[in-house]
Amino acid sequence: MKVPLTWLDEFIDLPTRDPEQIESALAQLGHEVDEIARLDATFEGVVVGRVEEVGPHPNADRIRFCRVNDGSAVHDVVCGAWNFEAGAIVAYARVGSRLGLDTDNPFELTAKELRGVTSNGMIASAAELALGEDQEGILVLNELGLATDQDLGRDLEDLLPYPDLVFDITITPNRGDCMSVLGLARELAAFWNIAVREPKVDLKTSGKPIGFSVEVQDREACPRFAAREVAEITVGASPLWMQMRLTAAGQRPISNVVDVSNYVMLEIGHPIHTFDAQTIEGEQLVIRRAKEGERLKTLDGQDRELDPADIVVCGQEEVLALAGVMGGESTEVSGSTNRVLIEAAHWDPPSILLTSHRLGLRSEASSRFERGVDPNLPDLATARAAELIAGAGGGSVKPGAVDVYSKPIKPRIVKLNATQVSRLLGPEPDLGDSADYLRRLGFGIEKVADDLLLVSVPTRRPDVTRPADVVEEIARMHGFDSFADRLRRGNNGALKPEQLGARRLAAVMVGAGFCEAQTLSFIGQSDLDRLRLPDSDHRRIGITVNNPLREEEGTMRTTLIPGLLKALVTNVGRSTNNVALFETGSVFFRAPDRDDPRIPDQPNMLGFAAIGAMGSAGINGSARPVDIYTATGIADLISGSFGLAIEIIQDQTPMLHPGRGAGIHLDNGVRIGFVGELHPAIARDLGLAERVIVGEFETAPLLASRDDWSIVEVSEFPSAVFDLAFVVAESVSAGSLVATVEESAGREIEAVEVFDEFRGPSLGEGKKSLAVRIDLRALDRTLTDEELVPIRGTIVEAVAEQLGGILRGTQ
Amino acid sequence: MDLSTIDSLLATAPGQIAGAADLETLDQLESVLVGRRSPIAELRKGLGQADPQDRPRLGQALKAAAETINEQLDARRVVLESAAEEALLESDRVDVTLPAATPARGTHHLITQTMEEVTDIFRSLGYQIESGPEIEIAYYNFDALNTPLTHPSRFQSDTMYVESFDAEARTGGDELLLRTQTSPMQARYMEANPPPVHIVVPGRVFRTDTWDATHSPVFHQIEGLAVDTDITFGDLKGTLAHFALEFFGPSAKTRFMPNFFPFTEPSAEMHVWFNDGWLELLGCGMVDPNVFDAVGYNSEEVTGFAFGMGVERLAMVKHGIQDIRHLFENDLRILGQFR
Repeated sequence: MKVPLTWLDEFIDLPTRDPEQIESALAQLGHEVDEIARLDATFEGVVVGRVEEVGPHPNADRIRFCRVNDGSAVHDVVCGAWNFEAGAIVAYARVGSRLGLDTDNPFELTAKELRGVTSNGMIASAAELALGEDQEGILVLNELGLATDQDLGRDLEDLLPYPDLVFDITITPNRGDCMSVLGLARELAAFWNIAVREPKVDLKTSGKPIGFSVEVQDREACPRFAAREVAEITVGASPLWMQMRLTAAGQRPISNVVDVSNYVMLEIGHPIHTFDAQTIEGEQLVIRRAKEGERLKTLDGQDRELDPADIVVCGQEEVLALAGVMGGESTEVSGSTNRVLIEAAHWDPPSILLTSHRLGLRSEASSRFERGVDPNLPDLATARAAELIAGAGGGSVKPGAVDVYSKPIKPRIVKLNATQVSRLLGPEPDLGDSADYLRRLGFGIEKVADDLLLVSVPTRRPDVTRPADVVEEIARMHGFDSFADRLRRGNNGALKPEQLGARRLAAVMVGAGFCEAQTLSFIGQSDLDRLRLPDSDHRRIGITVNNPLREEEGTMRTTLIPGLLKALVTNVGRSTNNVALFETGSVFFRAPDRDDPRIPDQPNMLGFAAIGAMGSAGINGSARPVDIYTATGIADLISGSFGLAIEIIQDQTPMLHPGRGAGIHLDNGVRIGFVGELHPAIARDLGLAERVIVGEFETAPLLASRDDWSIVEVSEFPSAVFDLAFVVAESVSAGSLVATVEESAGREIEAVEVFDEFRGPSLGEGKKSLAVRIDLRALDRTLTDEELVPIRGTIVEAVAEQLGGILRGTQ
Repeated sequence: MDLSTIDSLLATAPGQIAGAADLETLDQLESVLVGRRSPIAELRKGLGQADPQDRPRLGQALKAAAETINEQLDARRVVLESAAEEALLESDRVDVTLPAATPARGTHHLITQTMEEVTDIFRSLGYQIESGPEIEIAYYNFDALNTPLTHPSRFQSDTMYVESFDAEARTGGDELLLRTQTSPMQARYMEANPPPVHIVVPGRVFRTDTWDATHSPVFHQIEGLAVDTDITFGDLKGTLAHFALEFFGPSAKTRFMPNFFPFTEPSAEMHVWFNDGWLELLGCGMVDPNVFDAVGYNSEEVTGFAFGMGVERLAMVKHGIQDIRHLFENDLRILGQFR
C-alpha cells in the first residue's frame, strides 16, 4: 500500500513530517515501511498562463503561434499542440525556467527561433513536467481542474502537492482496514493521540430518483449491497490532482469513472464497482451464487467458467459480474457511457478468497475483501464515489440509493479483565492505560468493574474477536520494545541418545573425508528408472506430489542415491573430479508409519557417493581412486564407530556392479543397507567415466546401538603372530575364512587379517590362495610355542572342514 | 728401551688426527697409532725384557701416551661423527612446500552447522530438541495451528500436497502435505506431553516457491515453543534477544514489531541489527488460545510463546551468501568453504 503524506493530510494533522519518525510510528504499530519515495517538482520557473490568442504560424502548418499572458506580460510562444484554444489556462515555461531536474540532463529554456518566429518559452505538456504520460497535447489546467484565471502568474509548483513523501507499506493479512489512507491515518492518529477528520459527503442530487432494484438471494454471501446512480456524465480524463494522487499511490490513471473507483478504494478502503447503467436491462440486479455451467466474459476479455461457490451479480438472466473479484465485459463503463451505477457491497471474505485464487485473479479489490472490509462503509463509499464522479464527469447524482442491509452488523463486545492483559503482557500497562490505548484506536470502552472492561470493537476490525486480540492492540500501542526482557529457561537441554548418535555419524563421515550434501527431497520417476531397480523393489514407486514444481521433481525420494549422483554429476561437470559426498535425510515409502499410521513411513537414511581419489597422495605417491574396498571400508568405519557388529555379504544389490556390491547385515541377519560400486552402465548413463561408489543405510539401527558399554582390559604381554596360507576354492570368500579362523582360534585371538590373495597355475583351476596373519595374545601370560601348536592345528582343521581349504605347500 | 719413538709419536699424532677428514681415515689412523701393531703396542710387548726397575716408569709412560692419543682420537671422532650426521641429514633435505599427502577433508553442511549452532544456544537454556515428520497431515500443519480451511497458505499455490499412500480418500485435516513449517511439532508435542514445555524443532520444510536468489521449494526452519503458567511477552522478547546476542555477537541489537500469524496472538517479527542494517529475522508471538484448545491444554491456565526462523536465512545473513541456490547445488567449491 503506497500512501502519500499529502493525502494523509486530508485526515490528520501530523505532528511531524520527518520520514523517520513516521516510519518508526508505523513500524511500532505493525505496518512495515518498505520504501519511502520523495516526490518533488522536476521544474523551476513554470507559471500559470492564459492563452490570449492562438493563430496559424506564418511559415508552418503543424505548429501554431500563441500569445500567452503570465499575469505580468504577454509573450509570443510557438506551440505544436492542438488540444487548446484561446482562453485556455496553461503551464507556461518562461525563458529561464528549468525542466527535467529529475533527469541527468536538466535544461534551461532560452528564446528560440522556430521557422522564422521567436518563441519565448513554451507551453508544457504533462510529460515535459513529469506529471503524466501525455506528450501529444499540452496541459490545459482549467480543464484538469487545477487552475483558473485567478491563478495567473502563480508558480505551478505551488498548485501541486509538492514536496511529498510516499510510504510504501506492507499491510499484514489481518488488517484490511489499513489498506486505505483513512485507515492508516487512524493508526497514526492513535499513535500520536490526535483527532481524525472523518470523511463526510454532502451529496447534491437532482433529477429522477434511482430506479434500480436489487434482490439479494444469498444473504450469507452478501450481507449488504449498496448502490447509487449518476446520470449525464461524460467519460474522460479525471482531474490532474486525482491523477497525481493515484499515480503517487501506484495506480495508473485511466478515466474519470475508473479513477474515482480506485480513488475511493484507496481513500476510505472500500472497493467500488461501476456498471454502465444503460447496459443493465430492466434496472434489476440479483445477487446469488453461480449456477453450474454459467459463464462470464470478464473485463480482461477472458471467457470464464463459473463455480457454484462463486458469488455473482446478475441481471434478469445473465451473470454481469464476479462479485468482489472482477466485472463483466458486457456492463463495462466505456467512452460512450453516460449513466453509471456505483456498487459498494459487503461480500463474504472466504468466498471472495476462494474465487480469486481459483481464477488467479488477485486484484486490489479482492485483496481488500479477503482481509475484510467494514460492512458499515458501503453507504459512505457510494456517496463519496458519486460525488467525485459527478464532480469529474459533470454528471448529476440521482436522488436515493439502493441499500440492501437486512441485518446490520454492530460492533462486537469483548469482555476484558485485568488478568487477561497481565498474564500475556506482564504488569504493564495497567487496565487504565490499556483502556486509553483502545480508546485512541477507536474502540468503545465501558468500565464495568475495577478489573473489567467491556470493549466495543469497531466494525472495521473483524480481526478482533477475543480478549487475546484486544491484548495485541494494547501491546502494539504500548510498543513491543517497551516490555521488559526476561530470559526464559527450560530444564532439559541434553541431547537424546539418537541425537548424539546422529551428530557422531555425521562427524565420522566428515572425518573420513566426505562433504555433507543437502539434496532435494524430490526425485523423478526417471531417476528410479535409471537406477534399474526391479519392479518388485520397494523403492520403485514413491509417493507422488500432487502439485510439483517440475515434472522431474514429482515424487518423494525413496532413496538418497539419485540426489547424491546428481551432485556428483554437477561437480564432475564443473571439473571437480574427486568428489565424496554424504547426506542424512528422510526417504518416503507407501506404508504407514509405525508410530502414527495416519502418515507414511519416512525413515532417516545415511547415503554416500564418491568418485575419483579421496585426499591427495602428495608428491611421491599416487592417490588411489575409490573402489569397492573404499565402500566396504566406510561400512567398517561406521559400524566400528557405533560398536556395531556387522557382516558384509556379497550380493546382487540393484543399482550396483554385479560383482562389486554387498549388503550390510546386523549380526541378527537383518540387512540395514548396502555399499558397492555403482553399476558401470548407470555411471555411463550419467556421463561418469570412473568408478563410482555408493552406499545407503538406515540410521535407526546405528543410532540405537550406542548402549552403555564397558571398557575391555588389554594385555601387557607380547603377542604371538604367525601366518597361514590356505588354498581354497574360488567361491570361498576372504570374509568366511577370517570368520572361520576367528571362531576356531579360541579366546586368545586378537586379530586376523588377510594379507595376500594369489592365483596361479601351481594351485590348479578354480583355486586361489589366501594368506592370513593371525595375532594371538593372552591377558595373563606370554603364550608359549607349546600352546600355539595345538591352536594352529585347530585352525587348519577348521578351515579344512568348513571351507575345504588346505594349508598351502601341503596340498 | 728407547722411548724416543713415543715422543715423536706424541709430537706427530695431533697433526695426523686433526688431518683425518673422515671416520674411515680416523679408524685407520687409530690402528696405526694405538692398534695392535702400533709402536706403542710393540713397545708394550717388549716391556717384559726391560729392566724390572724401569718397568713401572716405562709402563706408565706407554699407558699415558696411549691415553693421550686415544683422547685425541675420541675428540676427533665426535667432531667427525657429528659432521657425518649433518651431512646425512643435509642429503635428506626436501622442499617442504611440495604437494603434501593430504587426507580428504570433509565438511559439515552449513545448514547443519547453523541448525546445531542455534539449537545448542537453546539447549544451553534448557530447551530440548524435537523433530517431526516431513510428510504431515494438514491437521497438524494448519487446523491445530488455528489456520482455517480457507486460509491462503493452504492453497496449492503455497503448499505441496501428496497423494494418499493408502487407499483412504483424504480431505480437510486428513490431507497429506509436505509440512510448510516446523510448527506442526508444536501441536504434536503438546498433545503428547503436559506443560511445562521448552522445545526447539529443527527440520526441513517445503513450499510451492520457485527457485530464485532467496527462495527454494525446500528449506529448513527452527521452531521454538515455551509453555508454562507464567510466560509473558517479556519472556519471548528476552529469550529471543539472548539468542540474537549469542548467534550474532555482542553488538547485535534487536527490535520487535507487530505482525500477523494465525497461531500466535499477539504476533511479532524480530529484527536484528547486523552489518549496519535492520534485518527481518524471525516471526514469533504468544501462543494463540485456539492452539491450546486444539491440543487439550487449558488456555486459561497456561500461556506460552512460539517462534520460527529460517535456517538458510540465518546462514546467508551471517556468511554473506547472496544466493540460496549455493546451499543446495552441492558444488564442492562451495561445500569446501564450510568449516
